[in-house]
Amino acid sequence: MALLEVKDLRTSFHTEDGIVGAVDGVSFSLEKGETLGIVGESGSGKSVTCLTIMGLNAKRNTVSSGEALWKGKNLLDMKPRELRDVRGNEISMIFQDPMTSLNPVQTIGNQLIEAVQLHRDVSQRVARARAVELLKAVGIPRAEGRIDDYPHQFSGGMRQRVMIAMALINDPDLLIADEPTTALDVTTQAQIINLMKRLQEDFGSAIIFITHDLGVVAETADDVLVMYAARVVEHADVDQLFGRPQHPYTWGLMGSLPRLETDLDRLIQIPGQPPSLLRPPAGCRFHPRCPHVMEVCKTTVPELVPTQRDPEHLQACHLDEETKDREAAKLLEATMAKAG
Amino acid sequence: MFRYLIRRILWAVLLFIVITFVTFVIFFMGPNDPARAQCGGDQAQPACLKLVTEHYGLDKPIYVQYWRFFKRLVFQQNLGHSYATGQSINQAIGKAAPVTASLVFGGAILWMIMGLLIGVYSALKPRSLLDRTAMVFVLIGISAHPVWIGLIFEYLFGVKLKWTPIANYANFFGAPKDSGLPGGPWQWFYHMILPWCTFAILFAALYARMIRANVMETLNEDFVRTARAKGAPERRVLFSHVLRNALLPVVTMLGMDIGVALGGAIFTETVYQLPGLGRSLIIGVQSNDFATVQGVVVFATIAILLFNLIVDVLYAWIDPRIRLT
Amino acid sequence: MEAAQAPEARGDELLVVNDVKKYFPITRGIIFQKQIGSVQAVDGVSFSVKKGETLGIVGESGCGKSTLARCIVKLLDTTGGGISFDGRDITKLSRTAMRPIRREMTMIFQDPYASLNPRKRVGFIIGEPLEVHNLGSSSEIKMRVQELLEVVGLNPEHYNRFPHEFSGGQRQRIGVARALAVNPKLIVCDEPVSALDVSVQAQILNLLKDLQDDFGLTYIFIAHDLNVVRHISDRVLVMYLGKVVEIASRDLLYAEPKHPYTGALLSAVPIANPALGRKREPIVLEGDVPSPVNPPSACHFHPRCPRFVQGHCDVEEPPLYPFGNGHVAACHYPLERWPMSADEIRRASSPVQSPSSQSREELPA
Ligand SMILES: Nc1ncnc2c1ncn2[C@@H]1O[C@H](COP(=O)(O)OP(=O)(O)OP(=O)(O)O)[C@@H](O)[C@H]1O
Ligand SMILES: Nc1ncnc2c1ncn2[C@@H]1O[C@H](COP(=O)(O)OP(=O)(O)OP(=O)(O)O)[C@@H](O)[C@H]1O
Ligand SMILES: [Mg+2]
Ligand SMILES: [Mg+2]
Repeated sequence: MALLEVKDLRTSFHTEDGIVGAVDGVSFSLEKGETLGIVGESGSGKSVTCLTIMGLNAKRNTVSSGEALWKGKNLLDMKPRELRDVRGNEISMIFQDPMTSLNPVQTIGNQLIEAVQLHRDVSQRVARARAVELLKAVGIPRAEGRIDDYPHQFSGGMRQRVMIAMALINDPDLLIADEPTTALDVTTQAQIINLMKRLQEDFGSAIIFITHDLGVVAETADDVLVMYAARVVEHADVDQLFGRPQHPYTWGLMGSLPRLETDLDRLIQIPGQPPSLLRPPAGCRFHPRCPHVMEVCKTTVPELVPTQRDPEHLQACHLDEETKDREAAKLLEATMAKAG
Repeated sequence: MFRYLIRRILWAVLLFIVITFVTFVIFFMGPNDPARAQCGGDQAQPACLKLVTEHYGLDKPIYVQYWRFFKRLVFQQNLGHSYATGQSINQAIGKAAPVTASLVFGGAILWMIMGLLIGVYSALKPRSLLDRTAMVFVLIGISAHPVWIGLIFEYLFGVKLKWTPIANYANFFGAPKDSGLPGGPWQWFYHMILPWCTFAILFAALYARMIRANVMETLNEDFVRTARAKGAPERRVLFSHVLRNALLPVVTMLGMDIGVALGGAIFTETVYQLPGLGRSLIIGVQSNDFATVQGVVVFATIAILLFNLIVDVLYAWIDPRIRLT
Repeated sequence: MEAAQAPEARGDELLVVNDVKKYFPITRGIIFQKQIGSVQAVDGVSFSVKKGETLGIVGESGCGKSTLARCIVKLLDTTGGGISFDGRDITKLSRTAMRPIRREMTMIFQDPYASLNPRKRVGFIIGEPLEVHNLGSSSEIKMRVQELLEVVGLNPEHYNRFPHEFSGGQRQRIGVARALAVNPKLIVCDEPVSALDVSVQAQILNLLKDLQDDFGLTYIFIAHDLNVVRHISDRVLVMYLGKVVEIASRDLLYAEPKHPYTGALLSAVPIANPALGRKREPIVLEGDVPSPVNPPSACHFHPRCPRFVQGHCDVEEPPLYPFGNGHVAACHYPLERWPMSADEIRRASSPVQSPSSQSREELPA
C-alpha cells in the first residue's frame, strides 16, 4: 500500500467572479522515502493541491472532491479530531513564504514547543530540549541562545530553517515543502536543499517538493509531476522527464530556462499567457499556446495515459509518440549542446 | 525600552505645554473679562475690578500670566481658585474626578467586553444571522447620539420599567453622614448601570466592528495556517495565535479613545446629572470661570497623556517587534 | 570624507564608477539625533561599462546591489567616490544640471507589482517621463507611448488600462516601456525577472536582448540568478557585502572563477539535468551573510571562506588582483582551476602562490 495515494482530486473556489477550478483531477501516489516534485507556472494549482490534501483550504466557498488516502484512510473525510492527529505529526508542511508563516508575537521556542506538545505528552523541559536539538539540526548557530528570540530577529533564510525544524520536530512520515527556497538566494537555497536531503536520509520521510525551478526539481526529486492550468500534463521519473519529455508544455518550460551548462542566444519562449481558471479553454488547456496544436486538441481533453515505451511515464497530449520523441530529441540537442 | 520611555515622556511634556497654552490663549482672547465675572457681572465696582485684576495679574501680558500659572502648577501642584466661587480647584477636581473615572473606566470595561464578544463571534461566523444582527446594532450604536440614547434609556428602564434610578451619583465608599444620599458599592453600581450603558454603546459598536475586521484579517494570515498545519485545535488557534495578534491594534486604539471618551462623558454626565468633570467644565464655561475650565483641562490632559503612556508601554510589552525602536 | 576623484573616461566607456561608497547612518534619539553607526551598504566599488555592453551584477540578498544601482542613476547621493557618465562627472552636478542626464539613464525596478502606480493608466505611466522632460506635445507623447507599447510586445489598445489588469510579465513589460520612453543610453535593471516564473522570465529576457540589438542600449543587469546573468551579460561583477570580489568577462567568470565566493555561488546553482546535477557537489557556505553594520575585518568573506588563512585574510585586505584579459578578483588565495570539489578547495589552501607576487613580476616596474 502506498503511503499517500491521491485519486482524482478536485478543488474549486466559488468567488464573486465565478467558479475557479484550481485543481482539476489530480492523481498520484507516493511511497515511503520517495521525493515527488511538482512543477508548473505560477497559479497552476500546486499549492492548492497540497493544501487540499492537508485540509487547510478555507472552508467557506471551497468545494473539494476525490480521495487522498493516507495509509489507506481518506484524509478528505476524516473527522477534525483524526485530521489533527495526522497534521503536524504524520504529515507536516512548510509554506511558501517564510516571512509571514511564523507568529510574530511568540518566540521561536514557544512555537516549536507547541508543535511537540500538541502531539506528545511530554514536559515543557523535554519539549524545549527537543526544540533546541532540531534548531541545531537545521543549522541555527547558538540554538540555545536564539530559541527565545522572536521571528523578526531572524533573517529569511533562518526563518525558513525554523519552519523546517518545526515541520520535522515530530519525525513526520511525509513532508510537504511548498516552494521552500523560492524566496531565498542561491547559497541559502543550497543550504536548505542539502539540509532536506540529509534529513530525508536520516529519517526516511517522503517529501513532496513544490517549486517552479526546474533545476531544483532535477536535483531533489525522484518523480516529477508537471501541472498546467489545474491539471497534471505529465508525470514521470525524473530521468525520464528530463531525458525524454513528452508534453509540449514541458518542452516549453525546459526551453525557456537559461542554463549554466549551455549557450543559447535566445531563449525559447512559450507564446501567450497562462489561461484564466475561470474560463479555461476547451479541450487541451494548453492548445492556445501550443506550437503543435491540431484540430482534435481544441475539442477533446487528452487523457493522462502511459507512453508505449514506459508504463510509468504518464502524459496528456494528443500528438503521436514519434513526433514527440523527435521534438524531445531536438529540444535536448538544442538546450544541452555542450552538456556532454 | 528605556529610550522609548524617555522619548514618550518628552513628547507628553511637550504636548502638555501646547495644550494648556492653547486653552490659555483661547480664554485670553475671549470676549469676557474674568475680573468682571468675579465682581458680580455688570454691576461690578471699579475698586473691586482693580483689586481682582491686580490680584490675578490680569493686566499682565499673556506669557507672563501663563508663566505664573505654569510655575504654580509645577512647583505647588496648585490649580488656583475658582473665579466664580473662590473654592480651591484642586478640591473641586478631587471630588469630581472619581465620578468621571467611574463612568469612563467602567464604561471602557463594558465596551471592551461587548466589543470583544460581538466582534470575535461575528468574525468566526461571518454572514450568519448573529453577525448580521450584530452589524445592525453596530450601525445604530455608531449613528445615535449619546444624549438621545441616554434619554431613551432613562425613559425606558428608569421611568417605565422602574429597574434603575434615573439620575444622581452614589459614592462607592458610602455617602457622607446625614446627607441622606445613597452610598456604598451596591448603590454605586446600581446608579451607574444606565450611564455606563449609554456611555459605552458608541464605542462598543466601533470596537465590535474593528475587532471583527481584525480577527477576520488575522484568520487569513499565513501563521494561522501554520498553526493549523501543526495540528492545533481551533480553540487553541483562536486564543493563542489569532486573538493576540488581532488585539494588538485595539490596545493602541483604546489608549487614544479613552481621551475621546472623556469628551463623550460630558453628555452622559449631563443627562444623568452626575457631578463629574464634564459637569464642572460646563458650569465653568457658563459662568465664565476660566480657572475652573483651565483646571479641568489640565487635569484631563495629564490623565490622557498618562493613560497613553501606559498603553504605549503595554503595547511594547505585548508586541515584541516594537521593543527595538 | 575624501574628495571625490573625477574618474577619467576613456573612449568607449559610457559609465565609469570609481571607489563609490554609500553609508546609511544609523541614528538614535528624536530631538538630539546622534549617529551611532552606519550601514556600509556599498563600500568602495569601482568598475566601468562600455557602450553597448551588458554588465551583470550578482550577489546575495542584502549585499548592496540595489543601493549601488540607485547611486548610479542618482536616486541616492553617494557618500564618497566618483561616477562619470558619458564623460561627465555626475557626482557633483546640481539637480538642474542633472536633469538632461537623467534622461539618458533610466531604471527598471525589482518588483513589477509595487513599482507601478495602481491608480494611473498605463498610458500615463509610460508617458510620464516624457512629460517631465517636456519631450513633445500631448498628442506626440501619446503616439510615442503607443509605439513603445508595441515595441515591448503589448497591444497599443492597452493605453487606457490600469496596471492591475495585467499579469506579472506584462507589468514588467510596462516597466521596460517606461524606461525606454526617453531614449536612454543606459538602463539599470534591478532584478527585473526575479519575481517572475521561468516562462515569463524568458519573454522579458528575450525582449531586453532584442531591444539592445535594435537600439544599441547599454545595460547594467542585477540579479541573483546566475543562469539569468550568464544568459544576458557580456561581463559580470560579483559583489559580497558592499565590495566587489570579482569582475570578468562572462565566459572567463563561469569557466575559471578565481574568488572562492564566486566558486561557491556557481556550485550552488541547481542544474536542470538530473544526470549532471547528481554529480554536482555544491560548496555549501556556513552561516548567514554578516551584517553590513560591522562587517568582518580585512576580506569580508573570511568567516565563511573555505580556504581562510588565519593571520592573512583577516588582517590584510586583498586588492583586486589582475588575472589577465580584464579578469580581476580580490582574493589572496584564488582558485587554481574549476570545477573543484569542496574538499579540494579546502585542501589547497595553504601553499598557494599569492598572485600579488606573480602579477608584480608580470607588470613592468
Ligand atoms: N482562496 C482562493 N480563492 C479563489 N481562488 C484561489 C484561492 N486560492 C487559490 N486560488 C486560485 O487557484 C489557482 C491555483 O493557485 P495555487 O496557489 O495553487 O498556485 P501555485 O501553482 O501554487 O502558484 P505559485 O507558484 O504562484 O505559488 C490560482 O489561479 C489562484 O488564483
Ligand atoms: N535606506 C536605507 N537605510 C538603511 N539601510 C539600508 C537602506 N537601504 C538599504 N539598506 C541596507 O543596505 C544593505 C544593502 O541593501 P540593498 O537593497 O542594496 O541589497 P540588495 O543587494 O539589493 O539585496 P536584494 O537582493 O535583497 O534586493 C542592506 O543591509 C540593507 O538593509
Ligand atoms: Mg504556490
Ligand atoms: Mg535589491
